[in-house]
Amino acid sequence: MSIRKLLAIWIFFVSIVISLIGFHSLAVQSEIEYWTMAGSLILLSISGHACGIHNYSTKKDGKNLFMLIYGSVILTIAALSFYIPDVLDLRPWEIYARIPDHFFFALIMLFVGIFTSYLSFRPYHNYNKEGAQSGALYVLHVTILLTLLPLFIIIFNIIFRGAGGITYEFLTEDIVSMGEQGGVYPAILGTLAMIALTAIIVLPLGVGTAIYLAEYARKGLAVRLIRTAVNILQGTPSIVHGLFGYAFFVLIVFNGQKCLLAGALTLAILTLPIVTRSAEEALNAVPGDLRDASLALGATKWQTIRKVVIPPSLPGILTGTVLGLGRAAGETAPIMFTAVYFSGAGTPRSLLRPVQALPYHLLSLYRLVGYRDVENQAWATALLLLIIVLGINISAIIVREKYRQRF
Amino acid sequence: MIKKILEILKEDCECAYKGLPKGMKMRVDDFDLWYGKTQAITSVNMNIQKNKVTAIIGPSGCGKSTLIRSFNRMNDTIPTVRTEGHVWLDGYDIYDDTADCVEIRRKVGMVFQKPNPFPFSIANNIYYGCQVNGMDVAKDEVVERCLKQAAIWEEVKDRLSENALSLSGGQQQRLCIARALAIEPEVILMDEPCSALDPIATAKIEDLINELKKDYTVVIVTHNMQQAARVSDYTAYMYLGELIEFGKTKQIFENPREESTEKYITGRFG
Repeated sequence: MSIRKLLAIWIFFVSIVISLIGFHSLAVQSEIEYWTMAGSLILLSISGHACGIHNYSTKKDGKNLFMLIYGSVILTIAALSFYIPDVLDLRPWEIYARIPDHFFFALIMLFVGIFTSYLSFRPYHNYNKEGAQSGALYVLHVTILLTLLPLFIIIFNIIFRGAGGITYEFLTEDIVSMGEQGGVYPAILGTLAMIALTAIIVLPLGVGTAIYLAEYARKGLAVRLIRTAVNILQGTPSIVHGLFGYAFFVLIVFNGQKCLLAGALTLAILTLPIVTRSAEEALNAVPGDLRDASLALGATKWQTIRKVVIPPSLPGILTGTVLGLGRAAGETAPIMFTAVYFSGAGTPRSLLRPVQALPYHLLSLYRLVGYRDVENQAWATALLLLIIVLGINISAIIVREKYRQRF
Repeated sequence: MIKKILEILKEDCECAYKGLPKGMKMRVDDFDLWYGKTQAITSVNMNIQKNKVTAIIGPSGCGKSTLIRSFNRMNDTIPTVRTEGHVWLDGYDIYDDTADCVEIRRKVGMVFQKPNPFPFSIANNIYYGCQVNGMDVAKDEVVERCLKQAAIWEEVKDRLSENALSLSGGQQQRLCIARALAIEPEVILMDEPCSALDPIATAKIEDLINELKKDYTVVIVTHNMQQAARVSDYTAYMYLGELIEFGKTKQIFENPREESTEKYITGRFG
């Protein structure tokens, strides 16, 4: 290991530590002093100078001065940061905010740290193409890490807090005294019944629309309008679906009676665009060659669709449907006005009776936190909901991987 | 049933029937075709003889694939296509308003440029055509007959239930030919059937075409002039959507009447 590489690795680790300090400060709002920030930047700058001088002394080439110049830039940043005011008062500009200086110090540490760790790949690879390549790859790794981090934090947080609350009683009993005791058995059954009913409603509608769009419709204005309508439906906030469900299904169709069917119909409207889009994509993925081959054998269009196009796209269609149902299972807004009670509905017995459901149960428990001792129950409900939704999504992935068709 | 339909057609619609001379299977009369506003085929006239191989040659983009796809109305699947003129099959106009595309495609089979077997088993690939046409045949028999006719039986007879996509490219193409034979067509159209294949697979398919012409009328599009010279009895040379020259293969290759044909065949252009 040459000194050049050792220096580069040293700079990499120092900059990682600096960016972590900055991140930590931003995340928990801890205050950073000016000299903490400036000191770490000066350390980084000295390392950069050392690296640059060493590189230039081994080979007198302009590009080997890179880290030297960069070290001076960091030093300048540290010096200029001295003039950041203690509190940046934005009120003279009609913005009612006061930003303390440690916020800027943390930001500087975070970005200088990440950027320097990225640059440290260059001296390590002696300023050649490979250095730029590994640097870019490193940045991509950092973005992946930052994407996955929230997911893991959420999942582990909910597991740690919720696992204790999941007991036999919790899973098998109805709610007792506003959720302080008892469990969520009717809510589990209610959620499952709602998903199943939604699937029964949405599958024929969504797949039918997709077949029409992908196979029959000529690529004209009408198709564009239908597709735009589907997209708009997908972008509509779920609370709007909920209000529509209440205004139309509950008030008009079911005479003011909240019920399982009204909730499932609302969820079906919510899920419809997801199912239609994924089914259309799955149908379009079947090569046109196969359609031609079938037509050339004297098959009608419908025979072609039924026997050649649909079978290979079935895994894709099912995956999309199941993913849509996973979304539906976790939604609160569409069902809170149309189908669910917090307590008293009992296990689902009729399509025309209200039910209890996990997402709404969670919302109601959250509202009671502070008034009643329901926090553990709430975390356990969250964990249960997470398990159901993740389970649905994982089953979709398994279906897709197992029956994936190659052409 | 087809005969009945044709009889009815003959009585009801005299204009759709035109007797063809003996030995002639198809006849193309002043045929034009447009993709939107672009004319791809301009007043083509040609005759296709029964139990002979007719080759269509010409440089890329000259409309030869479009023309062959007109012979079983496969161009109908493209929304912007518009046609004028007639293509007669056994004396019946396949572009008549009363003509049934599905019926025409059953009588005029097609093999495509790229092997495109269905992702089913080998046997089901063959049987598919019989299934969709409601033909009352024993599956085993038709599978064996077609695979033997397409000279692929020996290679696949022990793996009939395997997925057709596990075959090699050349085998897939012969399977596609076998599949086209299953519905007992009268004419087989081949759109550059060997362009994706190696020389050995190509030779097998050329032998196969020679065999096939005993029972079927074959039309083949090819960009390989040697292939046209080897397998065909008649050759049509197309350029920019027009049929420049049509005649016996020997005459076209040895004594072309048009200068353009000669240039193309001798490789000075195209």
